[in-house]
Amino acid sequence: MRPDTVKSAALLREARLRAGLSQVALAERCGKDRVQIGRWEAGAVAPSLDTLLELIQACGLDLPLTLVERAPSIAGEHLAKLQRLSPERRLDRMLDDLASGEGGV
Amino acid sequence: MSAGVAARFDPRAILASMERSGATYMIIGGLARVLRGADEITTGVDICPIVTVPNLARLERALDELEARRVDGGDLVVSEQSLSDNNVLELTSPYGALKVVTAPAGVPRGFVALRAAATKENLGHGLQPYVASAGDLAAMAAALHRDQDVTRLPQLRRIMELEVDRGTIAPPTHARSQTPLVRRESSERTGRRRD
Repeated sequence: MRPDTVKSAALLREARLRAGLSQVALAERCGKDRVQIGRWEAGAVAPSLDTLLELIQACGLDLPLTLVERAPSIAGEHLAKLQRLSPERRLDRMLDDLASGEGGV
Repeated sequence: MSAGVAARFDPRAILASMERSGATYMIIGGLARVLRGADEITTGVDICPIVTVPNLARLERALDELEARRVDGGDLVVSEQSLSDNNVLELTSPYGALKVVTAPAGVPRGFVALRAAATKENLGHGLQPYVASAGDLAAMAAALHRDQDVTRLPQLRRIMELEVDRGTIAPPTHARSQTPLVRRESSERTGRRRD
């Protein structure tokens, strides 16, 4: 399962649950097939972006999409390295940076 | 050392007092972002407690132990009424700044809503507090509409992508995603609320 499939599946399921709708009810509301909605939620396939937005709006929610520049510092490996640390180590690292004066407060 | 003069930021000392008191709370704000892997520095601890009479009594004990004082110099009273009057209680302590936030921006239901996607994280020294999810931290930052918070969104989004890649975020079977969904205008709303 690709990450983008996981994300659209999670978004769709969250939107439906927050609206208090069953898959059948959502299918009826937006004229889609219930089985297809189940496949999207299971992450078997990903809906198109337009379809995902349509489904989310049928749940009474919006998914605002905006384009933003990726900051150079986060485009590389730096955040990935931090992700590989445990939260305990992330805290220690931040405190070390603070003690060494790297952190502007 | 007098309250309000933090010789050195010691978040573990603050959290240890919370743990000793038995208060139930969640770490939000800058420290939560750091614990989620953001590359930033913070010198304060922001927490979102459960707002119940027993829990607020426990929180008050912790704040007493920390010798916490209100930044505005007012009397420090921890009660449902005082927290309702002051959604954000800004405090100083010998161990650093501390904010008590009962209804964070974008999450008016506070702890109860954040709990769904939060995880308990081991911070060493026997500390294992709840930490708000990267998705909720992004939602809170976006809701504040402040420049310094908006600039944090790309980093939080990247963290969410990395969590997906590493398989550490909630899978589709969970009730909440890591991307903020916003409720449509009430006139357009359909369906019952269930979150």
